[in-house]
Amino acid sequence: MGAEQKLEELGLKLSTPSAPPPGRANAVRTGNLLFVGGHGPNVPGGEALNSGKLGQGVTVEQGYAAAQQAMLNCLSAVKAELGDLDKVSRVVKLLCMVNSAPDFGDQPKVANGATDLLAKIYGDRGAHARSAVGMGGLPNGICIEIEMIVEVGA
Amino acid sequence: MEIEKKLAEMGLELPPTPTPGGNYVETVRSGNYLFVAGHVPRKADGTGTLHPGKLGRDVTIEQGYEAAQLVALNCLSSIKHAIGDLDKVKQVLKVLCMVNSAEGFGDQPKVANGASDLLVKLFGDRGRHTRSAVGMGGLPGDCCVEAEMMVELED
Repeated sequence: MGAEQKLEELGLKLSTPSAPPPGRANAVRTGNLLFVGGHGPNVPGGEALNSGKLGQGVTVEQGYAAAQQAMLNCLSAVKAELGDLDKVSRVVKLLCMVNSAPDFGDQPKVANGATDLLAKIYGDRGAHARSAVGMGGLPNGICIEIEMIVEVGA
Repeated sequence: MEIEKKLAEMGLELPPTPTPGGNYVETVRSGNYLFVAGHVPRKADGTGTLHPGKLGRDVTIEQGYEAAQLVALNCLSSIKHAIGDLDKVKQVLKVLCMVNSAEGFGDQPKVANGASDLLVKLFGDRGRHTRSAVGMGGLPGDCCVEAEMMVELED
């Protein structure tokens, strides 16, 4: 079963990425690597999920849900670039940036919202290197932002 | 095994390879690039991380430097696990060194040097990398520094 079918089975939807601001791209390909810009947890046509800081109003469960949404937005950018999510031969790397109150240390549990989704739709191809870290602030107070590198199959 | 010989001469050894805490892996190879996940200064004896807390509040620059060196060692352990021999590293390309920082702390580069200095001592010019050394609002388990890297491998 293809990655997009699996998404559908999970009841999840990709969105059409909005045009990036001038001078920026949602994703850039060089050779077989596609670098995906940082994406937040905006719901298609709506606002960002669960804005605020982890450890100060936003729960780990809410952060996990937001991480899943941010990953859907990254995947939407991948789809816009490649036309088909099954062209991804390997998810290489995630940087999961979690808006964190000073003593919050559960960034990995939040980032799992993105990581688990990749495992569900890609299986072994979805296993990636990852950093899950806490930021002092993120654009517009969103609770998570994720950037990603994927390898594109021949 | 030249690199490991140098490590031994410096009185250092590679810690046990860490086990990822989720659906991810410590390294992914794509072509000749090896992407290394963020590593923390996990102590070899499994008793948590070295010098937990924030720079500028709980942790001194010297302690942060020491922790950054341990982070680099942990990264190298994962690289060795992936490719068998550290001598196969052709070039360290990039290090993102993330320092758990109290408000107002601005000496992240001095902390990150703990990782950078080790890489250059071990690999010489092959160890000279581009780097970002930045302050984070928080890190997993309140560790004081986390670093990820990207290396190029011999064919």
